Amino acid sequence: MQTTSSKRGNRRRFGVLTGILVLVLALVAAACSSSDGDSGSDGDSGSDDGGPVTLRVAMGSPGEAQIAVWEAAKVSFEASNPNVTIEYNFQDDDLYETIGLPNLLNGGDAPDVYFEWAGERLQNRYNEGFVADITDAVNDGELGSYFDAGAYNGMVIDGKNVMVPGNADVTTVMWYNVDIFSELGLSVPTTWDEMITASETIKAADIVPIAIGNKDLWPVGNWASHILSRAIGEETYDKMLKQEIPLDAPEVVAGMGYIVELQETGIVNESANAIDDNEGAELFFQGKAAMHPIGSWLVSWAIESAPDLNFDYFNLPAMEGEGTQDSVIAVATGYVVNAKSDHIDVAVDFLTLFSSPEFTGQMVEAGGTPLATGALDRDDIDSRTLSLMEMMQSAGALVAPPDTGYDIEVADALYAAEAEVLGGVSTPEEALAVAQAKLGG
Amino acid sequence: MRAHRWFTPYLLVVPALALFTFAVLGPVMATGVFSFYEWDGFGVFTPVGFDNYVRAISDPIFRASFVHVAIYIALTIVLEVGAGLFLAGMVTSRPKGTGFFRVAFFIPVMLPLVVVAVVWGFVYNPDFGLINGALEAIGLGSLTNVWLGDTRTALIAVSIVSGWVFAGFFMAIFYAAINQIPSEISEAARIDGASEIQTFWKVKVPMIRNVIEIAILLAVTGGFQSFDLFFVLTNGGPYGATEIPTTYLVKVVFRNQNVGYGSAMAMVMTATVLAMGAVYMWVRKRADVEGGTA
Amino acid sequence: MKRLIGSRAVFFTVMGVLAAIYTLPLMWMVMSSFKTNSEIFSSPLSLPTSIDFSTWVDAWVVGNLGRYVFNSLFVTSSSVLVILVFSALAAYAFSVFDFNGKGILFAMFALGLLMPIQSYFIAQNSLFELLSIKGHRWTLIVPYAAMGIPLAIYLLKVYLDGVPRQLFDAARIDGASDMRMFRVLVLPMLRPGLATVAVFSILATWNEFLLALLYVTNDAYKTIPTGLLAFSSRYVTDYQLLFSALTIVTLPMIAIYVIFHRQVIAGITDGSLK
Repeated sequence: MQTTSSKRGNRRRFGVLTGILVLVLALVAAACSSSDGDSGSDGDSGSDDGGPVTLRVAMGSPGEAQIAVWEAAKVSFEASNPNVTIEYNFQDDDLYETIGLPNLLNGGDAPDVYFEWAGERLQNRYNEGFVADITDAVNDGELGSYFDAGAYNGMVIDGKNVMVPGNADVTTVMWYNVDIFSELGLSVPTTWDEMITASETIKAADIVPIAIGNKDLWPVGNWASHILSRAIGEETYDKMLKQEIPLDAPEVVAGMGYIVELQETGIVNESANAIDDNEGAELFFQGKAAMHPIGSWLVSWAIESAPDLNFDYFNLPAMEGEGTQDSVIAVATGYVVNAKSDHIDVAVDFLTLFSSPEFTGQMVEAGGTPLATGALDRDDIDSRTLSLMEMMQSAGALVAPPDTGYDIEVADALYAAEAEVLGGVSTPEEALAVAQAKLGG
Repeated sequence: MRAHRWFTPYLLVVPALALFTFAVLGPVMATGVFSFYEWDGFGVFTPVGFDNYVRAISDPIFRASFVHVAIYIALTIVLEVGAGLFLAGMVTSRPKGTGFFRVAFFIPVMLPLVVVAVVWGFVYNPDFGLINGALEAIGLGSLTNVWLGDTRTALIAVSIVSGWVFAGFFMAIFYAAINQIPSEISEAARIDGASEIQTFWKVKVPMIRNVIEIAILLAVTGGFQSFDLFFVLTNGGPYGATEIPTTYLVKVVFRNQNVGYGSAMAMVMTATVLAMGAVYMWVRKRADVEGGTA
Repeated sequence: MKRLIGSRAVFFTVMGVLAAIYTLPLMWMVMSSFKTNSEIFSSPLSLPTSIDFSTWVDAWVVGNLGRYVFNSLFVTSSSVLVILVFSALAAYAFSVFDFNGKGILFAMFALGLLMPIQSYFIAQNSLFELLSIKGHRWTLIVPYAAMGIPLAIYLLKVYLDGVPRQLFDAARIDGASDMRMFRVLVLPMLRPGLATVAVFSILATWNEFLLALLYVTNDAYKTIPTGLLAFSSRYVTDYQLLFSALTIVTLPMIAIYVIFHRQVIAGITDGSLK
């Protein structure tokens, strides 16, 4: 039962709240009516003929340095196409790769251009009807002149060009802190055993030998899968991920022995499975860890976060296994024009501009590894980036990462198993049997 | 009372009903329909009967997610409702000087989730974090732990954050309820020589029993629906130790595009929540009957 | 007397520790916004060496934070307004009038009180996609208002049920029409109830995350929860900027709460306990 005084209090409270609501709504109404001009372009369609066009471009966040290049391309393109406004949507990479992109594509503001990985994922998008055929632009136009034929690997479906090549991302190499290595008198390991020995020296010096942030499972997933492919051979690896042999096949279980070794020697940060990839990189940037297995994009991150860090990389050292021992785990990425876009021509024009030597050059400076030919004949390229690109071209074999090259459910199951083995909570037999059970036995 | 015109009540209800049916009730029924099909969100519907339900009931991750959320709810009853009751007891034990504390304890309720996640991510961070840093500083380095990465502590760690956020909410409810107890009653207890703590447990708590029951119901049904904290702090990890029904559901539907299967899981969860509500009503009714005869 | 002093010391010690647990993480967030990345990581607990607000300005400008704040205000206030209007009308019908189907209609809303978000968001997402409801400035108002209506109707009906029936009978005898009765009798009676509903609805919509994540992907229309998430993923490695952004969005919210805390507390207690 309420007292009279609290009722009076309630009334005053109501007055205040009503006042706030009315004020806010008035503000909003004013803002809405003033912004109607530009929001009107959202709805109209098919107006490539001079009417206002909003071109939406979506991707996982490529890091500040590369975002700056995209912004520069936007400025340049909008200057020569005054009717076009480019809108970027840079999502968290993990979000983008998982629920972000499908959600964007099915939503009301579907992007006209979106980032995607070549291979299985591109094929899925194609099957879903989100991939425009750009063969004509590649064959006849300016766009095609910026790429060699080899750049289109994994980007041609049913004889059609369906992707503008972006970067060739090496998804894992071993980055190392040059200063720590030289202080401890270590040289770059050339074999797996040398890497383990070096790690033990580093550990004795109270520095984390190898740091990785695996909360989202793909960082160790890529690294451990590369190790696995070296151990069991690329062919068995491919069969396993295509589920022609089960994940818990004896040779796979045996190959996981290398991950067990990483766990038993304790050379990977204890926090690996608790922190995300940025926090893992931060351990390396802050000099708390000597090595960091992650992809080529680390160069771009370091430009912003640790400009003074003296670091370099070596490929996963050779091991005694069935696979090609100088293989590189890499994936080509690119940009897809949405088949459902109303502005396919504008999208192609924009990607043409972005692939031109001017912006390719800027991408290289920002730590990217572009597939466009404009990238390679530059002398101001970061030496690490250049040598990464050369390493990829000379590799005895290219290994496709499970999450981008194969069925995502198989990749997820394998990644969970690898994380468990690295974390020491399961043996390879148990972890892989559980993983296979998730996929229906 | 009859309305002046027979159709007035219907006109009054229609706006709310239309919106509610369109955005909630209709989708509930559609989710029920989806659950009998295999559907990826845009292709063809393939009827599969009860297969999705059979799969859900035998899915080890889905089953484990119910265990996790049950543990989480049990912990939050202590860390949210229990802590809220404790805080309310503290701030009502004195007539003055508690305004600052009441405000401070409620602030986390309104914080944007990302703030909570980033701040607590750093508190728990194994390498740079405040807890491990503090433990090292006071010479207890051996107790440091990978709080969110250890299957034994991850769920507890998330529950503690949950408690930090929501204890203030329950404190506010209990605070108001305790203040409605006529002051003569606690005065009487004090004159009888009861200490502040005794008065709280023997007099005040029994008098707000109904409120505590409602708070527990809110914690149980709210806890079952939680998503945000888990999504940003662990997203199900490590090794699936904090996978709860909602995080798993979002993965199945939006990552694997398995809408039919996800819908069946959603229906199982709905049935669970409705059953919990029914149990509460039943317990309430029995308590009322007993209360009436006593 | 001695015992009282002792207990006061104990009281303020315990409360002080608790207040520290509640406020230190936030103070640390503010402090970190004045520190460089390497200071944050190498000495997380140290005080900043200098107080420089320029990063706050940077964060506000590059993050376009004003936009998220504006969107949140717009979505929340519109949702609350819709909830108040629709629910007041429906509660009036349910509380005052007898009509065919009243029981079943009210039961439908009562079901909505218990329905968890999981039971409808999957199909809701498909439906919104089909009808192109996703991705507008107003998108989130639809589910937020719909989700808030059941509790609002229930609470308002409880308030109205407490009004003596004789008042309505008297108004009827005076010849008041149905709508006039709503205006002159029901609305004034409902004021405290509407305030409670408003507070409850604001708290429920202001920080909503799951639907905001799924339905609004266009940066221009994101609300604070997903907008800050976007900010934190775009500037993933610039922690100073991130902490600055979190600080400037959070501090005004705390200030507003401090001013209105009595109203907020009264609202949630009424709402939870009715």
